[in-house]
Amino acid sequence: MDQAVRITAEPVDNHRCKFVVSQPLHAAGVRRFASAAEAKGSPLAEAIFAIPAGGVTEVIVSGNIVTVVKDNPAPWQMVGKAVGVAIRAAAASGAPPVATKTAPPAGGPATVDDDALYERVARLFDEQVNPMVARHGGRVELIDVQDAVVMLRMGGGCQGCGMADVTLRQGIEGMLSQHIPEVRGIVDITDHTSGANPYFQASKK
Amino acid sequence: MPRLLLLLPSTTYRTTAFVEAARRIGADLTVASERPSTLEAANPAGLLTLDFHHPERAADDAHVFARRHPIDAVVGVDDDTAVVAAAVAERLHRKANPVHAAEAARDKHRQRELLAEHGVPAPRFALHLLDEDPSEIARSVVYPCVLKPLRLSASRGVIRADDPASFVAAHARLKAILQQPDAAACGEPASQFLVEDFVPGYEVALEGLLMNRRLHVLALFDKPDPLDGPFFEESIYVTPSSAPAGLQKAIVECAERATRALGLVEGPVHAELRYNERGPWLIELAARPIGGRCSAVLRFGNGVTLEELILRHALGMPIPSLEREPVAAGVMMIPIPGAGVLQEIRGVAEAKAVPMIDDVQITAHLGERLVPFPEGSRYPGFIFARGATPAAVEAALREAHRRLTFMLA
Repeated sequence: MDQAVRITAEPVDNHRCKFVVSQPLHAAGVRRFASAAEAKGSPLAEAIFAIPAGGVTEVIVSGNIVTVVKDNPAPWQMVGKAVGVAIRAAAASGAPPVATKTAPPAGGPATVDDDALYERVARLFDEQVNPMVARHGGRVELIDVQDAVVMLRMGGGCQGCGMADVTLRQGIEGMLSQHIPEVRGIVDITDHTSGANPYFQASKK
Repeated sequence: MPRLLLLLPSTTYRTTAFVEAARRIGADLTVASERPSTLEAANPAGLLTLDFHHPERAADDAHVFARRHPIDAVVGVDDDTAVVAAAVAERLHRKANPVHAAEAARDKHRQRELLAEHGVPAPRFALHLLDEDPSEIARSVVYPCVLKPLRLSASRGVIRADDPASFVAAHARLKAILQQPDAAACGEPASQFLVEDFVPGYEVALEGLLMNRRLHVLALFDKPDPLDGPFFEESIYVTPSSAPAGLQKAIVECAERATRALGLVEGPVHAELRYNERGPWLIELAARPIGGRCSAVLRFGNGVTLEELILRHALGMPIPSLEREPVAAGVMMIPIPGAGVLQEIRGVAEAKAVPMIDDVQITAHLGERLVPFPEGSRYPGFIFARGATPAAVEAALREAHRRLTFMLA
């Protein structure tokens, strides 16, 4: 096990937690796994789905951030530690923790066209979202669209901002559902603990 | 779906917890803040700006908003927005505390007047103007005493004095704090302060939910570190309390009498009490949930959060359980390590590796200037633990904290 790997857990709530790792795990964009079957061939995701009684339903790996979604409402104490073990084991193995995404087979069943969605979401971000959040010194970067789920990263005044979740859920998510209703979800892969200049900073006890 | 109007100050720690709770229960959510979201024009049903400094004005604006987007419940998350929520709910004829009760909970002087009128055990107090001659006041008070601002949160500006000299020094310090722009923005309350008896004893915090005037106790926390001053920085909260059952009953009765004295009827309450050989004393009672990120330590039934309980109650939705999970739990508000600019934090992973530690959340960001009590009030982070016993949880919190190092410049 590589003791040099440092992991910071950022629970969003009892169902979703981001694990910020001190080294990159998947430099080639974002991979999202919505089931254990999809995780096959990616040792890190396989290990996280295999956590006993973890109830893991989704794993997203982007750079040095692993986002895990689970369906049981228990606190992250047990599952979080098991995720940490899986991350350290994957980092120490020397093999790529996550396989590169492969194109769907030609002639396969009809699926959501993520590339077309990506173009539309990128345009919405460029033309509407970013000009608005720029007023608070913020920016929103589209990282990827997978299975109609949008993965984004916040920067500038949005990173670490006390109201980032309001911007995300009440602003960006609403705009996506209004303009691009095919989008099925939105995942924020921002490392908010590293935000050095948040626009709104929590200051009360 | 019912529509919830959630009043979130832009400086609150509680945004994510409340927003995610609203999503989980399936409410249509409108978030109102005192400063506009840059995306308000894009989602006019979901984002709103209200004047939290003027509750009546906020109620007017919310009333206009509700004509287009009917509101089923209004929830505030701190002392100020609890008052605004009461004003808005009154205008919309929704379930909430009366405005005068929410105001009394926010105003430490009015609160003490009502507690005294209703015979609730509380420290003796006197209200003074900040411009009075401190030497003169110092000659008339009983020592030890505590100087306390009327509105500031998190024990900011609360200072113990043991003699006239320390009283005058404490007064100068408090005056400087109340002249800072954020404190002065409170208006008239920033020109006054309380002097009250110091009550020796052990301190506990009670988290509760008022439902049609009845107080349901959600958790009683021990505060194992003595809070004897001269400043009153919080540190560890551990539940369940180890106080004897009879004493716990007396503590709950004291808090319930306080809610009645203030006229509170619905929603969350957070009370700070002390007990000694004369029984429990009400130190503070607020019409809001526990502050900071501390609520993350509480889970009810099958993992329901405190925020979800509060929102379900406000919306009249079924509440699965008011019973806290059957394990001991605790939180440490990480003590402010000193004055300076935060350069680096070491040992977070090591702190998280301590058995029973759930999480270590660092809320200060690198480059942030840390200000110790009593001038400051922003903890650099929180440590959470769960375990078999309160003593084990407390030990885990202390060990995790021991492994953290804050590098300041």
